[in-house]
Amino acid sequence: MKDCKSYSVAPPLADIALRNIWNLDMALDVNTRTETVELLSREADCLKHKLEEERKKLNDVTLANVAERLEEVTFLNIKPRRLLKGNQAKILCCDWSPDKRHIVSSSQDGKLLIWDAFTSAKEQTVTMPTTWVMACAYSPSGNLVACGGLDNKVTVFNISNPEEDPSAKKKTVGTHTNFMSCCLFPNSDQQILTGSGDATAALWDVESGQMLQSFHGHTGDIMSIDLSPSEIGNTFISGSCDKMLLLWDMRTGQSVQSFEGHLSDINSVKYHPSGDAVASGSDDSTCRMYDLRADKEVAVYSKESILFGVNSIDFSVSGRILFGGYTDYTINAWDSLKCERVSLLYGHENRVTSIKLSPDGTALASASWDASLRVWA
Amino acid sequence: MDKSDRRRRPFAFDKMEGLVREMKDEETGVRVKSQKLFLTSIPSAFAGYNIIEWLMDRLTVDETEAVHIANMLCQYGYFFPVNDSKTLTLKDDSSLYRFQIPYYWPCSQKNPDNVEYAIYLSKRLLRNKQRHALEDYEMDSLNSLKKNLQNKWEFITMQAEEQVRLSKDRKKGEKIVTDSQERAFWRVHRPPPGCVSVMEQIPIKIGGSFSTKKKRSSEDLRREVELLRNCIGRTRVKTSVALDGLVSFAETYNEYDPLITGAQPSNPWVTDDPTFWTFNCPMVEAITEKRIKRWALSMEDLVSDATGLYEFTNYLRKEYSHENIRFWLAVNDLKRSCQSQILHRVKEIYDEFLAPGAPCEINIDGKTMERTHKEMKIPSRFTFDGAAEHVYTLLLKKDCYPRFIRSEHYKNLLANGVQPSARRRFFGLVGGAANKKVDCKDRVIRSTVGCSSTQGTSSSSVLQANQSSSCNSAKRRGSDRSLTSSPHELPINSVKVSQSHSQSNLSDIPYRGDLPCTPSSPSSNQDNLSGGVEECVEPQLPSMMADDVCPWDVADGGGCDRNKRPLPASIAEERERRLSTSSSRKNSGGAAYDSAASADESQSDSVASRLRRSCGLGGGGSMDKRRGSSAACTPQQTVDRPSVSSAEDFDLGPSPESRSPEKQPSTSPHEPAGAASSLDDKSNRKKLMKSLSLARKQSVTPVINVSSVDRDNGCDRTAADTVDETAATKATVAECVTSTADTGPGSGSGQPSETVACSSGTETATATATTAASNVSDGNDVCPWEDEHNQDKGGRFLKVYETYGFL
Repeated sequence: MKDCKSYSVAPPLADIALRNIWNLDMALDVNTRTETVELLSREADCLKHKLEEERKKLNDVTLANVAERLEEVTFLNIKPRRLLKGNQAKILCCDWSPDKRHIVSSSQDGKLLIWDAFTSAKEQTVTMPTTWVMACAYSPSGNLVACGGLDNKVTVFNISNPEEDPSAKKKTVGTHTNFMSCCLFPNSDQQILTGSGDATAALWDVESGQMLQSFHGHTGDIMSIDLSPSEIGNTFISGSCDKMLLLWDMRTGQSVQSFEGHLSDINSVKYHPSGDAVASGSDDSTCRMYDLRADKEVAVYSKESILFGVNSIDFSVSGRILFGGYTDYTINAWDSLKCERVSLLYGHENRVTSIKLSPDGTALASASWDASLRVWA
Repeated sequence: MDKSDRRRRPFAFDKMEGLVREMKDEETGVRVKSQKLFLTSIPSAFAGYNIIEWLMDRLTVDETEAVHIANMLCQYGYFFPVNDSKTLTLKDDSSLYRFQIPYYWPCSQKNPDNVEYAIYLSKRLLRNKQRHALEDYEMDSLNSLKKNLQNKWEFITMQAEEQVRLSKDRKKGEKIVTDSQERAFWRVHRPPPGCVSVMEQIPIKIGGSFSTKKKRSSEDLRREVELLRNCIGRTRVKTSVALDGLVSFAETYNEYDPLITGAQPSNPWVTDDPTFWTFNCPMVEAITEKRIKRWALSMEDLVSDATGLYEFTNYLRKEYSHENIRFWLAVNDLKRSCQSQILHRVKEIYDEFLAPGAPCEINIDGKTMERTHKEMKIPSRFTFDGAAEHVYTLLLKKDCYPRFIRSEHYKNLLANGVQPSARRRFFGLVGGAANKKVDCKDRVIRSTVGCSSTQGTSSSSVLQANQSSSCNSAKRRGSDRSLTSSPHELPINSVKVSQSHSQSNLSDIPYRGDLPCTPSSPSSNQDNLSGGVEECVEPQLPSMMADDVCPWDVADGGGCDRNKRPLPASIAEERERRLSTSSSRKNSGGAAYDSAASADESQSDSVASRLRRSCGLGGGGSMDKRRGSSAACTPQQTVDRPSVSSAEDFDLGPSPESRSPEKQPSTSPHEPAGAASSLDDKSNRKKLMKSLSLARKQSVTPVINVSSVDRDNGCDRTAADTVDETAATKATVAECVTSTADTGPGSGSGQPSETVACSSGTETATATATTAASNVSDGNDVCPWEDEHNQDKGGRFLKVYETYGFL
């Protein structure tokens, strides 16, 4: 009975999603009433066990074995190239403009800064009504930036006209019931995808502020989302404090694949540029890679000397290098195929909160609690 | 401390504590002993290097990382410096440290509250002023605590007094130990202002993830069961297959990964030169070969590149089958449009592509159609997904795309693909290996050599070089530029110069064979193009360059200025120019005209004209900064080829009058290049490019692989020469000289300079008597050049030059 109720309480959904939910509801209706929580959890455990067995069946080689034929990444000469100072407080997130040289950064003091990273010049400042702006993102056109954080909202600013104060043209697009931890524009200026501490992700229509789709399935704060790189892909992944990584179908709002393995909160998730694998970084100081076709974890990137958690990860263009920004102020570059660390980048003076590869792969931006942004190349 | 607390604290603490426990192991841990510090003996202390060594040994890490880890542990308060109460850093020397007792480990007690801190501070206040005096910041916080905890202050003072009384009974050594431990603890939890506090947590994580504690509802569970059921039924590929896919993906895209293989021509972040971005704008006219090649990798690569999509659509339009791609794009657009437009757009798409008799009806099977019709009843952004997927996978991906990749259209594009190779960019910027080899006394020499080396060197080494000497490079460029722009002085010192030339020519003779029309250009070409040739060139270059430079400096004030011109300025110019390249191709025409005009003027008086021209060049360059790509390209290039410039100078000196007006522009092709481009329409440009590529092929070898040509240094040189020539011819034809700029920034990079070289070369040939042999050959060449310039149909010239090349 309760279950039915909970459905009706579900937030407004796009028509399709609604239909799906109703179908699901009808199908389940018969046995729902007899099912209890214990029964369900027992079944879930049983299924999990089965799934693990299924996954093991086709596990014939390890990634390091396959990658043996590759030459090592020998000449990886990545150095700090730019230092952007101007935020007054901890920077929590940064994102690249599609023009490959501008960066937006959001910080704990509620400021959103737009940088021309190439000249290291601060171009615009947007003041947010909240502190801890945990997420910010550039739209594909470069005209909008979205941000949000402890205010539970995702707000969009139009920054296309440098003369005007962007704060004047702000628009609150969506509201969660807990902090908003991550956001991105899914290939369109018209939509925003957000992840939240209320354990849901949601797709919003920018113009109307309508929620187009919500994604329920996590049982912990969603900390990170990433969109499939494929042109036709309608999927995205999310990582959460429930140590799960879920793959979602944006059309139906259903999760279609799940991965477990981390021992602590997942802080960051990222698609492999091929779209065939995903990686995650966690507080347990490891990064992991999961292959979607093989449906299993294929690599763990860890080292005994790495004690601290991973806050953010990103792949290089070829997917060969996996960068991780760590709480111990460093950025580690992993050979994603040989599972070895190829480089350790020092520079920041406090935890690295966000790292992003530039859209053309020429540089890596990192944001840190030391109130600076760095560009590495 | 209950379980949930432990789970909520960062995982890193478990790891750190594990490590610290190992350190404290009596057998295998860090050796601790009583150590003397001044007059006091510190029990169980260890030196900084002890712990570094232990970490290096235990974790098999290098020293830097060991120091880093030790510092992190120190900041978290697992051990603390005995003597230094201010900072929590660990030095790799003999300074003393002590382990913190587990009671004071961070997170073993939840955030210590202010009452405790107040007790601690007042305790210190009660004790020996000398040893326990409060720091300023501590005094401040004590005062503010006093205010905030007024009601508890009595209790606090009592506690403090009690504790002080107790401590008096302890032994001195013990006292020191407990004091320091306590102090270190508070340093971690109440750090002095300006210090990083490691204990700070993200607010969301302080509260603990509420939902992990939340009991999962049956709804959650049902969802999970559903997911798991689906997952079990999922078809999987073998791990080996999947991993092979990942590995080959990395192999395929290795060359497109700027962080691994470097960017061509250079990584903007490393060299400050945004040329790379100019080449890789979403829509460009001069498409780099690499980019075109990438389109062949996968359909995604093609359609995700705006230019690729454009060409693909064009191709399909020619084939009358572009309705598929248009439909697919429309559906993508629909998916991404805002909610309010969905209905409208669905209708539009239906009317245009799906309705019976629609203007652009697409061809999909009945089943898909039926499904789409069903979806149409409730229009949404995903209404046409089925149809679009059908079109994409079956028609576009399996049919149109492979055809496109095999088509002449694509092959032509590929053949015309631009090489943003070292030329433009690397000249000035990078002094590669050669740089090191050559004596650095003479800046000019260095620069030239640098140029030559750059070309040959791989991008990676280039990068290295850049890093090591980016400022040098800038300077170098400046100096090069001065070389180019100082033709005026040459006549005066012609003897010297000619000598140097002859030298270079001599050395170049074998090459000249290939490039009959450009006697002087060979050297330049060598500099620019052939890494392999480098070595032969080097010895001569120094002498030559030295000669050149000195005379100029002496000869003409203006020349001196040029040469010695303050470097920063030239650098700045360069940068500006570079920046402008992308923006203002259109304007280049104007610039070109200016330059052309200046060229004309110069006609009258050889020396004066030359001077002026050079000025014009310089001025043009400066003007061009803002104006155009052409300008940008050209000055740079001139700069890039010091030897060439010298050649130019020769030419200019003796034979300006003899030359036809058309030629003159060519002498100063840099500026006009842009103009030409603007003048010429695209088709012309394309032709040019084609012819260029043709020329390249032919000149190089019978082999028709452009890319291979480019890779081959020796061949490359010839190719470049031919290119230059062709470019030059074209340029002359256009009166404004080359359309280098138009042909594209990419092609431009190589060509404009080459044109210069060629023209200069020709002129030189006529002009310089010193190099008789060269003159002969050159003379022959020159004449045809001039004649043909006017008529010029690229192909012909190309042929001519090709044959020359084989001479």
